[in-house]
Amino acid sequence: MILEKNVTLIALFAALIAVLGLVPQIMLGFGVPITAQSLGVMLCGTVLGAKRGGLAVLLFVVLVAIGLPLLSGGRGGLGVFSAPSAGFVIGFPVAAFVTGLITEKVRTGNLAIVAGSAAIVGGVVVLYAFGIVGFSIIADKTLGEATVVMGAFIPGDIIKAIIAGALTAALYKARPASVLSRA
Amino acid sequence: MPQSELIEISIRDMGFAVEGRDILAGISFTTSARRIGVVGRNGSGKSTLARLLAGLLTPTKGKVRLGGIDPDADRAKAIETVGVLFQNPDHQIIFPTVIEELAFGLTQLGTAKNKAIEMAQALLSDFGKSHWEEAATHTLSQGQKHLLCLMSVLLMKPKLIILDEPFAGLDLPTKLQLGRYLSKFEGQLLHISHDPLDIAGYDEVIWIDGGALKVHGPAEETLAVYLDAMTEQGASDDIADLSR
Amino acid sequence: MISLTSPVRTRAHDWPAGGKLLALCIASIALFKFSTPLAQLSAISITLVLYALGGRTFLSVGAKRLWVLWPFVVVVGVWHLVTGEIAEGAVILMRMVTSVALANFVTMTTRLTDMMDVLRWLMTPLRLFRIDTSAIEISIAMVIRLVPTLILKGRQIVDAWRARSKSRTNWRVVLPLAIMAIDDADHMAAALKARGGLVARSGRK
Repeated sequence: MILEKNVTLIALFAALIAVLGLVPQIMLGFGVPITAQSLGVMLCGTVLGAKRGGLAVLLFVVLVAIGLPLLSGGRGGLGVFSAPSAGFVIGFPVAAFVTGLITEKVRTGNLAIVAGSAAIVGGVVVLYAFGIVGFSIIADKTLGEATVVMGAFIPGDIIKAIIAGALTAALYKARPASVLSRA
Repeated sequence: MPQSELIEISIRDMGFAVEGRDILAGISFTTSARRIGVVGRNGSGKSTLARLLAGLLTPTKGKVRLGGIDPDADRAKAIETVGVLFQNPDHQIIFPTVIEELAFGLTQLGTAKNKAIEMAQALLSDFGKSHWEEAATHTLSQGQKHLLCLMSVLLMKPKLIILDEPFAGLDLPTKLQLGRYLSKFEGQLLHISHDPLDIAGYDEVIWIDGGALKVHGPAEETLAVYLDAMTEQGASDDIADLSR
Repeated sequence: MISLTSPVRTRAHDWPAGGKLLALCIASIALFKFSTPLAQLSAISITLVLYALGGRTFLSVGAKRLWVLWPFVVVVGVWHLVTGEIAEGAVILMRMVTSVALANFVTMTTRLTDMMDVLRWLMTPLRLFRIDTSAIEISIAMVIRLVPTLILKGRQIVDAWRARSKSRTNWRVVLPLAIMAIDDADHMAAALKARGGLVARSGRK
């Protein structure tokens, strides 16, 4: 049943990314209204690993592209890829892949810390690289200027990555067989 | 058994619509009974009524008052007054360990963390479940999860507990055991069920049918009328209707 | 789950999806190549006419979908007002609004099934390499089916929080939701297997 389990997990995590963006009352706390959607992208990497996590997020992006309102706030369609945040959406699958790769390969130490660090590298560093390049192209600004604008959101996303680490460890306790990154 | 102070549940001309469609309309009743049952077919609007009474939904029309407060507008007072037990404990348990799940409601009421843990431990001991303290919530059986949800609600010492089909899918012994714990609750219970056996012996029963209040009366008589109607509908074939 | 295709039918709904996508690519490249204010003004006017031809409802839905861009407009607008580069700022903003509006136009006038046909065609090279693309199509259908159900479960967990707390939820509600997703995946896999499974077809008919 491995093929079926893989496909259904990928489908469900793709759906999870959508749900984290579409249920407005799912907040992350700490007083700041940070949206939870990119947390879903990080979790795809930390829980499903590089290949399957990347596929889950790619599936999500394809669904957005073909016209489904799955981005937070009910956004979707091809317009998303011409918007200032297009770089982020394109970078999502890569972010999940890198996050998953680190989580899979680094086996020493506490899972929460490894997963959290993987989420910072993949979900923040790599993702923002894509996002900043995208923004600089669309807004016709230098990379430095784009970083200044987008940089405001980085602290919130680092908190998100730490949360992803904690959640991954908790998931491993509850459903170890489904944390494929550590299978 | 000492009688705790009973609160008045008052609904006046209440309606709830979603995207133009009426789920509930023209609901009015007042009661201070200790044990209230709410019956009706699936899809009649009973669960929506439960959520409106708990203040988790805002009525489109009319008023909901529990002991004089508006549970939707005054959330702080609402969580002190009313507790809710939903149908599926898997959709209700938020935390990975029993003690965390129990302590959550108390800390949200303003109790300090260590005091909340003490109170949770005391309740576990009362229920003879002290060994549950560090248990992982996902390892509990369905019946145990239901009991955990009940304990979490009881810790907050509500005046009224709303139960939305809390026994769905449980085996008979588990139902009877949970029912026993429930019957010990000194406050008021509003128990929603489609099965009249769950609420036999209650004080009053409200029958919701197609989004409207059909009957509100003493338990025994109302249940008899309800049972007759259900049996009659059992002889028909409305299961074929796509709108159901 | 409802897609972003407009229920108001326009003539553009009948144009072939592949053609619209190709035109969109060309238009997007052109928008970046011709960056004079005049060119951008013409482009945005043509786009406006395109939407207007779809009728009043179509135009207003299209406008609403552009509203999400307002923070960007403010940031870039203020930036260019401060640096004094008004013309450049106007070009950037017009180009962005036009490219998003044109892309949205394709989305609004193309049915999901037509998009999936294009996707299937784009995946032809994969099939040449013996990769089974039907699993991809099944996954798309699965996600579409699963999102509303998972949203319902998300709302129920939020309700369970709100029933015991007056404050907004925090990150801890994500855990039970993720666990439910994992459990649902297990159940679906078993149900799929019981119905014959997802046999990797790789060449077999």
